[in-house]
Amino acid sequence: MSGFLKIAIRNLLKGPVTDPYPFGKTFIPNKLRGKLKVDPKACTACGTCEEVCPSGAIHITKNENVYVHTTWYNTCCFCGNCEFFCPTGAIKLTNDFHTANTEEEKYRFTTVALISEIKCESCGEMFVPASEALLKRAYPNVNDTIRELTKLCPKCRRKKAFERLYQ
Amino acid sequence: MSTKIPIGPFHIGLEEPIYFKIDLEGETVKNVDMINGFVHRGIEYLAMQKNFFQNLILTERVCSLCSNNHPFTYVMAVEKIAGIEVSRRANYLRVVADEVKRIASHMFNLSMLAHLIGFHSLMTQTMEAREIMQDIKESIWGNRMDMSANTISGVKYDLDEGQIEYILKRLDELEPQVDEIIDIYFNHKIVKARTVGVGVLPKEDALRLGVTGPTARGSGVNNDVRVKAPYAAYDELKVNVILEEGGDVHARTKVRWREVKESIRLVREAITNLPEGPVVLDKRPHIPAGEAVTRSEAPRGELIYYLKTNGAQKPERMRWRVPTYMNWEALRVMIPGNKLSDVAVIFNSIDPCISCTER
Ligand code: SF4
Ligand code: SF4
Repeated sequence: MSGFLKIAIRNLLKGPVTDPYPFGKTFIPNKLRGKLKVDPKACTACGTCEEVCPSGAIHITKNENVYVHTTWYNTCCFCGNCEFFCPTGAIKLTNDFHTANTEEEKYRFTTVALISEIKCESCGEMFVPASEALLKRAYPNVNDTIRELTKLCPKCRRKKAFERLYQ
Repeated sequence: MSTKIPIGPFHIGLEEPIYFKIDLEGETVKNVDMINGFVHRGIEYLAMQKNFFQNLILTERVCSLCSNNHPFTYVMAVEKIAGIEVSRRANYLRVVADEVKRIASHMFNLSMLAHLIGFHSLMTQTMEAREIMQDIKESIWGNRMDMSANTISGVKYDLDEGQIEYILKRLDELEPQVDEIIDIYFNHKIVKARTVGVGVLPKEDALRLGVTGPTARGSGVNNDVRVKAPYAAYDELKVNVILEEGGDVHARTKVRWREVKESIRLVREAITNLPEGPVVLDKRPHIPAGEAVTRSEAPRGELIYYLKTNGAQKPERMRWRVPTYMNWEALRVMIPGNKLSDVAVIFNSIDPCISCTER
């Protein structure tokens, strides 16, 4: 009995161990997987996140000249698969875990990122350019020639790159 | 005079949805019949509708307490089919995640034991000590239960100096608490009165029924997959198998506690000797057609995965055998002859996971 008595007395002296949350502070580690943040500048609307999301929480739809990247929190299970597989690092799970919402907000409780297309400098076709983050992943050092190429649509880019070979 | 008593399927003392039909004579159980299947979720079918990357997460959701072992065994099956070599560092990191989960899972089951024998202050004390493991999981992997540590060809996380230091510090905090609580579980008269000689599973029956995990080791059967068929980094880390001879609830309790200590040692050893190298391959592999069977030692016992692929993005068939499946039948040996009030305690002592069994 003495073993447990010791613990009991120590606990009495120590006071409660539970956090007073939501009225006070609680322990929130930096790496906690909570609501996610999508950086539209880094995202290239490649659809990888949509593909690997196990619960189908991510939808990428296209409106005129802009891709809409929507994450539904009532479906998301905060697994972090999208963050891990995103080739450009555009998705980050933040440590904001406040996901209580009313039934009324059910269809509005989302994160939306807009990825707009740009006009091809050569032919005027609309397309999504490769982001800086993607270039950094693809090339050991990103120079201006490569950056110039991102302003062209895939078709014109191919043409230009081919021409360069024979100049 | 004999009476029939139903316990379950949803009963406060059981914690899991299962139905016991009990024949009583006086206070003693004469016979028991068990019926399950109340929470079937069709996950095996669902796994065939999802691609290999989605299944990393789906398999993790089969059960929250063995939630690391399911994707772990699943990725080993995928890697076997695709012929992928995992780096040494990734293998060590897999072991770290797995042993952290084992400590938390065992301690949860042990605190449930304290709850079922009515020793509530002991239960809260065990849970509070376990909270250290929950903090580690949250700080390193980002979630209290589903760590999402494994991916095909490696792991999704890496440990830097600071994180290693943090884990070591928290383990140093945990270990004296564990020692203190272990003493109570092993020697306190209330615990002993409710566990010694209760729910005995003799060694012959354990062998005959093929029980797995701590249930088998509590009856003196050495079947630890980590030792018998080492995977990941277990052949380098040398696990000491914990065996007890009693075969009763007390013996299984002892096995779990001693395994908690062993796992603490393993985590320490793995993170202080982390080999250098990449944690995951750069290129996402193609999964060719093939078949594989892999197994691992989950906190509850041996977990087996069978995977069949046909070269497409999704498995053609996936099936798993979970530890509770085998341990379940042993209840027919353990329960008869005991008091009615011991049924829940005995049931808990196999560390049942209905959520895996009825996936
Ligand atoms: S967030 Fe990442 S994975 Fe998703 S579409 Fe954008 S770039 Fe692709
Ligand atoms: S965290 Fe998981 S469930 Fe949520 S959007 Fe990302 S992949 Fe989907």
